[in-house]
Amino acid sequence: MIVEGDFTFQGPRETVWGLLQDPEVLAKALPGTKELTQVAPDQYEGVMQVALGPITAAKFTVKVELKDKVVPERYDMMIDGRGPVGYTRGVAKVTLAEHGDGATVMTYRADLQIGGKVAAVGQRLLDSVSKMMTKKGLDALNDELKKRLGP
Amino acid sequence: MTAGRYFGQSIRRNEDARLLTGRALFVDDVHLDGMLHVAFLRSDFAHGTLRGVDCAAARARDGVVAVYSAEDLGDYWQPGPLLVPPPPIKGHVFHVATQVPLARHKVRHVGEPIAMIVAESRYVAEDALADIEVDLEPLEAVVDVERALAVDSPRIHEHLESNLAAHVVQQKGDYARARDDAAVVVARRFRYDRGASAPMENRGIVAHWDARAEELTLWDTTQAPIPIRNGLARLLGLMESQVRVVAPFIGGGFGPKIMMFYPEEVLLPWASMQLSVPLKWIEDRQESFYGTTQERGQVHDAEIAVTKDGTILGVRDVFLHDSGAYDPYGLTVPINSQCTLLGPYRVPNYYSEFTAVFTNKTIVTPVRGAGRQHGVFVMERLLDLAARKLGIDRVQIRKRNYLSPDEFPHDHAILFQDSAPLLYDSGDYLPSMEKAEELIGYRAFIEEEQPRLRAEGRHVGLGIVSYVEGTGIGPYEGARVTVEPSGRVRVATGVGTQGQGHFTAFAQIVAEVLDVDVTNVQVITGDTREFGWGTGTFASRGAVVAGSACYEAALRVRDKITKLAGEALEVAPDDIELSNGRAQVKGVPSRALELGELAVRANPLRGAVRPGTEPGLESTAYFGPARGSTANGVHAMIVEVDPETAMVEIKRYVVVHDCGHVINPLLVEAQVQGGVAHGIGNAFYEQLVYNEDGQLLNASFMDYLVPTSTDVPSVEMGHVVTPSPLNPLGVKGVGEAGAIPTGALFAQAVEDALRDLNVEVCEIPLSPNRLFDLMREAGASARG
Repeated sequence: MIVEGDFTFQGPRETVWGLLQDPEVLAKALPGTKELTQVAPDQYEGVMQVALGPITAAKFTVKVELKDKVVPERYDMMIDGRGPVGYTRGVAKVTLAEHGDGATVMTYRADLQIGGKVAAVGQRLLDSVSKMMTKKGLDALNDELKKRLGP
Repeated sequence: MTAGRYFGQSIRRNEDARLLTGRALFVDDVHLDGMLHVAFLRSDFAHGTLRGVDCAAARARDGVVAVYSAEDLGDYWQPGPLLVPPPPIKGHVFHVATQVPLARHKVRHVGEPIAMIVAESRYVAEDALADIEVDLEPLEAVVDVERALAVDSPRIHEHLESNLAAHVVQQKGDYARARDDAAVVVARRFRYDRGASAPMENRGIVAHWDARAEELTLWDTTQAPIPIRNGLARLLGLMESQVRVVAPFIGGGFGPKIMMFYPEEVLLPWASMQLSVPLKWIEDRQESFYGTTQERGQVHDAEIAVTKDGTILGVRDVFLHDSGAYDPYGLTVPINSQCTLLGPYRVPNYYSEFTAVFTNKTIVTPVRGAGRQHGVFVMERLLDLAARKLGIDRVQIRKRNYLSPDEFPHDHAILFQDSAPLLYDSGDYLPSMEKAEELIGYRAFIEEEQPRLRAEGRHVGLGIVSYVEGTGIGPYEGARVTVEPSGRVRVATGVGTQGQGHFTAFAQIVAEVLDVDVTNVQVITGDTREFGWGTGTFASRGAVVAGSACYEAALRVRDKITKLAGEALEVAPDDIELSNGRAQVKGVPSRALELGELAVRANPLRGAVRPGTEPGLESTAYFGPARGSTANGVHAMIVEVDPETAMVEIKRYVVVHDCGHVINPLLVEAQVQGGVAHGIGNAFYEQLVYNEDGQLLNASFMDYLVPTSTDVPSVEMGHVVTPSPLNPLGVKGVGEAGAIPTGALFAQAVEDALRDLNVEVCEIPLSPNRLFDLMREAGASARG
């Protein structure tokens, strides 16, 4: 499954970058995250729970590793989530570009494998659920950014 | 055997009262004291290295009694048996890789069992699955059959050099020369994809080791209880007589419930012995999508060489067969494809080559039709294409190439799946086609109705195709017939039964021989304690092989009756006739004895049984045909396609079928109707969709579409009778017939309906989506 798009943050690139490295913020930006802790530099582990059609509470143990970081331009997120109803794993590529008017454009492209029950019975819903989750996550990031930048 | 008072009559089913009132026993109806419940942890990954399975947390959960991973099985862990060794075809290559009870070191398809949990309830067992920690390193999955053979493809079985499972060439004549002589050669690539057998009742097992009696009883949804008993006895170190396998009423078999030695089938008996408690596992629908075997993935590159008048000079077919992750069933499916392709036709030159490959998908074994679909699809499509190119009517090209009645027995000079030569016992194909033409109104439709409807802008089309079906193969089945003192007759046979009507068909055969009321004949099938010799229900062989054994056993009992009655009534045995449950002196109905009374006399409480005689009115007989008998038929249908939605409506469906003598027309028609429903599902509704990671994307009835009663027309049927010379009843099998030519028929009918768009159908299953794409592609190339 490919999840891709871009989003414009009304704030400087360094601030957006900082947000994306903060586990507390990340936990908010990844909808359904129950916990997320940094276990090593650029390595996070946690638990996510999502609802997908007939699967009402799919719980995943998630490992996230940031790789090939070029501060504050881009990084790759290696994602490996597994749980009783299946798995999701793959790479999300994130780039941040400065926009002329002090805004930052984030471009993301996640190539994810989905397997197990989630794939088998949730297939038709994956696309809409992932879009909804992405939107929620970006809104949460944007709110957090506004908070940091102040009124 | 020709039609009589019972044989050949449309008699209502003896078993229906029990089934319709909920009194029939199915495996899930078995409840035993202290019975525990089993759940399986199955792989989410299609391919991966299994580094460890930690069951500690699951074992600690309240209500969990035992948890087993591969390493807990000790010596019991071993790959399953090779169920059908390949026939001795010269030069063939075959690599064995049979399924394992629990994955060890590696997982090879989604749904492969990794661990087994025994708990107080299924709820607890299922919850405990989440406690197991699996350390698995995912590997790239092998999904596509062509990609599987690429040198850089990941290997599924480490002990093999590649993913090649088998390679077989069978040929006769010289195709290359035939091709040189041809006026027209048509070549295409054809695809057939996977579907599920989707029985109403999923698999289920109850295993009960009785430690005091030292006996294992297994209630199992198997089509082949006797081979399962024999195999389990061997695996568990028991005598065969210590194992009883009962296949009670089963809600549909369709092939995958054959003697598979599925992991669950092998593990529950073992665990019941370990724990000394009865265990139950009932497959849920999702498990069935992953864990029950499937069929039909093949890719054919085929061509046909014909003369100007459409006479077949030869056929060449090279195909890939998807075996799935393991190949316990040998080469049965692809060899059926290879053999069935020849159909009812005279094909002097034939070159057929197939390569079977392993993929990271559920195991492939026969599903109703068992490879025959592909052969029929390829041949019928080639004939349609050749006819169009030559401007010959599609019925004409078929008639021109039918084997004629004086060519039987016909030797096709290649080997069939049962290792015997592909030799048709009998057949007369022209009458089937003529009857089908008449029933569907072929001429009137294409000359009047279709042009008129087309002029109104409607897309109506007709399909009409032929097929043969190898049925009734050996090795043998047996039956025991007993007249009881009540006068009722008991028949026990070893085959399993899954709804075919065995309780009626076998009763009719015996009732005819003994002239007793058919409702007074009680049939027992599928219980190894009742009858312990035989193989099982598959290959459309129940009526042919077990039916003939019932007949032979009944004849022997009749001899015992006439002998005993002759002595009692002081006439020669030849002067005794059986009538309505009595043995009487011919022509003197007043001098008669009830069969029940004779049964009592045959089992005296005093006196001696004379040497060379046996007590009771009972006899056991076995029947093994030299080879299978070849049934045939013609299917025809009229469809209308909605060009906007690409939905296909089946207006009429005609089947003319020749299965030799018919034991019970009602049962034959029901089998054909059910087969057609299955075939329509395969052709237009059902498809197992795997993605490139080997994930099955539609493993539920939300997304996997089976046809409903409103999608399946009532089949109009015609019978043609060409008796088989290979068995005393003159019968041929019919269980798979309805499902075999449906794909080919669907393709032809839809093409005919969309002739203005020039759509060509070279794949099955279709779906409204796929058909819509084909229509758009055809439109684009026409414009292009």
